[in-house]
Amino acid sequence: MAGSNEINASESKRVVPLNTWILISNFKLAYNMLRRPDGTFNRELAEFLDRKVPANTIPVDGVYSFDVVDRATSLLNRVYRPAPENEDQWGKIELEKPLSTTEAVPVIVFFHGGSFTHSSANSAIYDTLCRRLVSICKAVVVSVNYRRSPEYRYPCAYDDGWAALKWAHSRPWLRSGKDLKVHTYLAGDSSGGNIVHHVAVRAAESGVEVLGNILLQPLFGGQERTESEKRLDGKYFVKIQDRDWYWRAFLPEGEDRDHPACNIFGPRGRSLEGLNFPKSLVLVPGLDLVQDWQLAYVEGLKRSGKEAKLLHFKDATIGFFFLPNNDYFYTLMEEITSFIHSNC
Amino acid sequence: MGPEGSSITSSSGSSSSCSAAARAPDHHHHHQIDQLLAGAGYSVRSSQLHQVAHRLECLESVMVHNQNIPTHLPLQYHLANDVVHYNPSDLSSWVDNLLSELHQLQPGSSASSSGLPPCPGNYESTGWSPSEFHAPPPPRNGNGNESENQQPQEALSHVLHQMDQEDSSIQLVHVLISCAESVQCGNLPLAGSLIADLQALLTRVNTACGIGKVAGYFIDALSRRIFTAVPPGAASFMSCWASEDEILYHHFYEAAPYLKFAHFTANQAILEAFQGHDCVHVVDFNLMQGLQWPALIQALALRPGGPPLLRLTGIGPPSPDGRDSLCVIGLRLAGLARSVNVKFAFRGVAASRLEDVKPWMLEADPNEAVAVNSILQLHKLLGPDQVHGSSSVEQVLAWIRGLNPKIVTIVEQEASHNQAEFLDRFTEALYYYSTMFDSLEACSNRADNVLAEIYMQKEICNIVCCEDSARVERHEPLAKWKARLKGAGFKPLYLGSNAFKQASMLLTLFSAEGFCIEESEGCLTLGWHSRPLIAASAWQPVSD
Repeated sequence: MAGSNEINASESKRVVPLNTWILISNFKLAYNMLRRPDGTFNRELAEFLDRKVPANTIPVDGVYSFDVVDRATSLLNRVYRPAPENEDQWGKIELEKPLSTTEAVPVIVFFHGGSFTHSSANSAIYDTLCRRLVSICKAVVVSVNYRRSPEYRYPCAYDDGWAALKWAHSRPWLRSGKDLKVHTYLAGDSSGGNIVHHVAVRAAESGVEVLGNILLQPLFGGQERTESEKRLDGKYFVKIQDRDWYWRAFLPEGEDRDHPACNIFGPRGRSLEGLNFPKSLVLVPGLDLVQDWQLAYVEGLKRSGKEAKLLHFKDATIGFFFLPNNDYFYTLMEEITSFIHSNC
Repeated sequence: MGPEGSSITSSSGSSSSCSAAARAPDHHHHHQIDQLLAGAGYSVRSSQLHQVAHRLECLESVMVHNQNIPTHLPLQYHLANDVVHYNPSDLSSWVDNLLSELHQLQPGSSASSSGLPPCPGNYESTGWSPSEFHAPPPPRNGNGNESENQQPQEALSHVLHQMDQEDSSIQLVHVLISCAESVQCGNLPLAGSLIADLQALLTRVNTACGIGKVAGYFIDALSRRIFTAVPPGAASFMSCWASEDEILYHHFYEAAPYLKFAHFTANQAILEAFQGHDCVHVVDFNLMQGLQWPALIQALALRPGGPPLLRLTGIGPPSPDGRDSLCVIGLRLAGLARSVNVKFAFRGVAASRLEDVKPWMLEADPNEAVAVNSILQLHKLLGPDQVHGSSSVEQVLAWIRGLNPKIVTIVEQEASHNQAEFLDRFTEALYYYSTMFDSLEACSNRADNVLAEIYMQKEICNIVCCEDSARVERHEPLAKWKARLKGAGFKPLYLGSNAFKQASMLLTLFSAEGFCIEESEGCLTLGWHSRPLIAASAWQPVSD
C-alpha cells in the first residue's frame, strides 16, 4: 500500500521545481479522471483537456514546423526544422532540396509518450520538447502521431512507427551529407521509448538503417513486481495500478505483462542475436518506479552484445525533461547531442 | 514594479553534480506568467504557483479519501461526466472549478455560490471567500474512531475546512505582497484598499500564532506607511519608541537565544584573543545594559595565570532624561569586577549615531590588546550618507583598523533587508520575521514574548516605513559582510570548535527544539529549522 497522501505530495514536491510539480500533478489528476475501471477511456474529455498547438512555418526561436500526412497510412507526421538563415525563405516549406549536401544532419524520428494512451504529436509539451531537440541538439525531428490504445492495441503503435520510419527514409528532403542519405535516429519517451525498441527491431530485420536509439524513461514491464515498483509505488506521481491499466489497454486482450511487447528480455522476449541492432542511449530517472525494468533492458542489450549507454539520474522524476529548469535537462540534451553527432 | 524581463530561467548547467532541485526563483516576476508552463500550454502566474499546487494537493486528498468508500460513485466519474470544464489552460480556474464542484457535493453547502469573491480594484482574486461556504466544523468522534470510518461527507468537509484555513493564510501572504508592490509603484489608493482586504483576511486566520500573527505586524507597518502624513524620511517617525528601547531589548534578550548566542560566541572569541595579554580593552559598540560583560569579566577572573587589567569602553546613545545611563551601567560592572578581583576601568562614550564616534574618544593605548565588539550595529552604517566621498561604514571600518585590534567580533542579522527595491526588502522581511516569530513562539516564556515581539515590530516598522537616513535596519547577509570586511583590510579569525560546542550546549538549555547552529568557514550561525537568522564572525586586520 502506498504511503500516506500528504507525505507523498510533500516528498515529490521536494525533488522537483514547483512548476514541474504542478505540471505533472495536473497530468496525474486529469489522467485519473480519464481512465475508467472497466478499461475504457474517456477519449473525448482527453482530447478536450490536452493542450495542443498548431504547426508553424514561421520560425519561433529558430525552429519552424509543418505537418505532413502519409497518404498510405493517414498518419500525421509533424516535422521540425531549424529556421533558414535567409529570412526571405521563412514560411516556405522545402520539399525538394536535401537538408544539406556537405554535412550530415541527424533526423530524429520521435515517438511521444503517454503510456500508449495519452497525448499526440501536436500536444504542447511534445511540440515544445521537439523544438528544443532541434535547437539544442542540432537535429531535424519528425514527430509521429501514432494510433493509441485502448482503441488501437498492439501492434498498431509499432506498425505506425515502422511506417513512419520508412516514410522518413524515403523523403529526399530529409537526406543530407556527402552520401546523401537520411541519417535516422529513433527517439521516444515512456511508451515512445518502447516503440523505439520495437521499430528498431523491425528495421534491423528488414535491413533499414537506424543509426541510434534514444529511449527516455522507456515503458517496459513484466508480471513480476520488481523492487523499485514496490518501493516507489505512489511516491513520485505514479502508482503501479495505473501502469497496470495502461498495459491492459495496450496488450492484446487476455495477455499478461510478460508479453514480448512489454517484457523485452523476459521469458517470451525476442532475442537480438544476429540482428544489426543500433547503439542505444537509455535514460533512467532514479525516481521512476519502473526503473528496474529499464535497467534490465540495458543489461539485456549488453548481454546481447549491443552497444548501450545508460544515463541513470539519481533524483530525477518522470517528466523532468519537459521543463528546462533543472541540471538534468541540460545534461540530457548534451548527451543526446553527442550521441547523434558522433557518427558524423 | 520590478524590472521587466525573462521568466524563471536557469543557466545551461555545467556543474559536475547533477540535481533536479529547483533553481532559486527570481523575485521580480511575481505577476508574470510562468514561461515554462506556458510552453506546456498552461497559463499560470508565478505568484499563483503555490496556491495552484496547494489546490492540486487538496483535490488529490479529497479523491483519495473518496476511494476508500466503496458505496459512493468515484469522484473521478463525477468530475469527468457531470462537470462542465472550462478552459483547461487557465489551470488555476480549472482546478478551482473542480474543487468548487466537490464542495457542492457536500450537504448543506450554499449551492448558488460559485466561490469567486468580487475583485477589489486591480487585484485579481482566484481564491474563494470561505465565508460563502458554510463548511461544518471538523467532526468530533467521541468514540475515537479512525478517520477512515468517518462518513464520507464529514471527511470531505474536514479536508475542505483545513483547506479554507490554509487558503486564507496563503491569500494573506499573496495580498500582503501585492500591497507592498502597489506601495512601490506609488499607487497609494490601491494600497489602501488592499489594507482593507488584509484586515478582512486577518479575521479568518488564527492571529495568535504563525503567519496570522506576523502578518498583523506587517499590515500595521504598511498602514503607517500608507496613511501617515509624516513622510517616511523624517527622523522623528520612530522617536516615540526611543525611551522604551532598553526594556524591549531586555525582554528580547530573555525570550529567545539570539542575543545570548551573540554575546556568548563573541565572548569566547575575545577570551581566546586576549590570551597572554595583561592589559586588555574592549570597545562595545552598543553597551545597552552591558548584559554581555559579566560573563567575560568572570571568565577573565578565572583565567589561568590571573586576570588582566580590563578596560571597557561602552558606546551608547545619550540618555534622554539627562542621567548618565552609560555611567550607571559602568559602575555596576565595576562592582562585579571588584567582587572577582579583576582590575577594571570603564569609560562611556555617548553618541546618537555610531558614525559620530571618533577614535580619539576611545583613548586606546598602543600597549593594550583591543577587542572591538559590534552586536547588531554595523548595518546601521549602511545608509546613504557620505562624508568626503566615503560611506559611513568605510570610515568606521577604517578607524577600527587604525586601532590595530586583536579581534573584531561582529554579529549581524542573517537577512537581506537592504535591497534597493522596496518590494524585495518587504518580501524578505516577511519571511525572515515569520521565522523569528515562529522561533519565539516555541520558546515558552510568555511574559517576555509580548515585549520581545514589540522589539521586533520596531525593526519591521523601520524596514517597511522608513527611507533614507531614517532607515537604519539595513540588514545584510554574512556573505556581504565578509566581502566588505575583506575589502576594508580585515581577515577572518576562525571561531574555533570550542565556540561551536559551547554554543550548541547553550542551545540545549533552551526547551525549544528547532534551533540549530551551523559552522561555515569559521563563522557561526544560529537558525530556526535550517533558516539561518543571526550570524557571528570574528576578524583581525591584515598586517601591512
